Amino acid sequence: MSAMTQKRVVKPQERIPEIPEKIFLFRSCTGSMEYPGTENCVEYVLKKLGIEVIKDPDQSCCSGYILTCSGHIAEPSLAVTARNLALVEQRYGLDTYVFCNGCFGYNKELKHIIDHHPEYKKMCNDLIAQWGYHYEGKSTVYHVQELYYLLLDRIKENVVRPLTGLRVAAHYGCHYLAQQYGILDEGDLPTFHEEIYTALGATPVFYKERRMCCGYAVGRGFTHPENVVQPHLAKKFDSAKEEGVDIMTTTCPGCNVALDREQPKLAKRGFGPYDIPVVDLGQLIALAFGAPIESIGFNANSTSVDPILKKLGLGKGDK
Amino acid sequence: MPRENMTQWDDKLYQKVDRYNLVPNLDECLQCGKCTGNCPVAALHPSYNPRQIVHDILLGEVDRVLQSEEIWRCLWCANCYRVCPVDIHYPLLMMQLRYLALENGYGLKYVTPINKYAYRSLECGLTFVPGQKGIDKIKGLREGIGVDPWPKVSKKAIHEYGEIFKQTGAYDWMKALDEVQAKGEEKPVTLTFLGGRLVDERYDTEEGS
Repeated sequence: MSAMTQKRVVKPQERIPEIPEKIFLFRSCTGSMEYPGTENCVEYVLKKLGIEVIKDPDQSCCSGYILTCSGHIAEPSLAVTARNLALVEQRYGLDTYVFCNGCFGYNKELKHIIDHHPEYKKMCNDLIAQWGYHYEGKSTVYHVQELYYLLLDRIKENVVRPLTGLRVAAHYGCHYLAQQYGILDEGDLPTFHEEIYTALGATPVFYKERRMCCGYAVGRGFTHPENVVQPHLAKKFDSAKEEGVDIMTTTCPGCNVALDREQPKLAKRGFGPYDIPVVDLGQLIALAFGAPIESIGFNANSTSVDPILKKLGLGKGDK
Repeated sequence: MPRENMTQWDDKLYQKVDRYNLVPNLDECLQCGKCTGNCPVAALHPSYNPRQIVHDILLGEVDRVLQSEEIWRCLWCANCYRVCPVDIHYPLLMMQLRYLALENGYGLKYVTPINKYAYRSLECGLTFVPGQKGIDKIKGLREGIGVDPWPKVSKKAIHEYGEIFKQTGAYDWMKALDEVQAKGEEKPVTLTFLGGRLVDERYDTEEGS
């Protein structure tokens, strides 16, 4: 674990050497419940990019950081990861693509632990063998944003509703950028989301605290919401507001929850008001690809996206 | 709390903390402080200091570490790990430190509220399932965008997910935490790492630091 043997930052072509025709899409609990439009848009965008998506109802939750990191023992999480990935490799023989940084970091890190600790691999395989699974570790875990960046040219071709004049800011999410190896950009100053915004015709905005954590993980609801999470988020939004950000995107429904749902609470405490809508990157791409507005699911947001739609001439009454 | 007052030491604390053998290189720590410099929580609260926590684990200051309130503040963003020159996986250290604190009766109040979601996840195969009102809202939103009212999770997935929790002992662990708390045997946590830099007052809400 300690010796870093693999390259940390790689080019998208190194990360995904062959453009897949078919992928297994790992659904996210938060993405399917809090912001159902996210899953919808990710599928819509992938379809437009010419990629077939396979989903499976036998896939369970990744078991999440919330359970393990906040004090529930690690064995079930290792076994759940092995089960889900074994299911993908045995049934489909495909790579696993997730659209949530939480699922990504979790599956990737736990896969790393299982692959590098034979005793954990044995523990997992002994446990999941009762249902006929056997984990070998053949299904690599990717994030769909890596595919977006790899297929930037196809994205440019598909834009029918350019987001001209829209000032978009990125929130990358820690569990993508704080990985051990094989990520697309340097953690300190990543820019690949901004390249995607430019491809969509929008204006990327850099703000001071753009690399700052969303504060969601274990903190938001349970440990120290008032004296850690809220002032922390206020700092982030203060700097975004300064730069005149219209809209912020995430690649993690968890981050989206923290950044979007906390804004009314911050306003109540006297921070802001910020009124910066936060949506998934997939939703923004789907918007530019001309997806029907109601299918994007912006109405799940606590901080309204309507002013942005209005700015783009897509509001109610506009056509 | 001045360091001199702490009398309980444990030379084997590091081995006890790293029970899953996930941070075998902790003793390579250079004490450079890059973790703390990159920590968003430390930026708000100087009493939270990852470097100091690593130092205290290596020295074996049991009381100071386990009963501290600070170990529950980590946001798990892993920026400390990202910049660590010797690749110490601090988040995994923090995770295991929390296990040890819980076993010793500290910090249950931060964990047991999450049990509700954990129990629900055993029934649904999904984490963060809200109450009935929330479920109705989700169903409405999902139908509004033209997808199934509820995410498709098969009975097989739910059964196997639940069995994994039961067979690995996670279910018993959750129950045990609830029981300790119900009996009122939870020990209080305290701010134990006082002092440090000045912080921006606008964001500071902590009393007594």
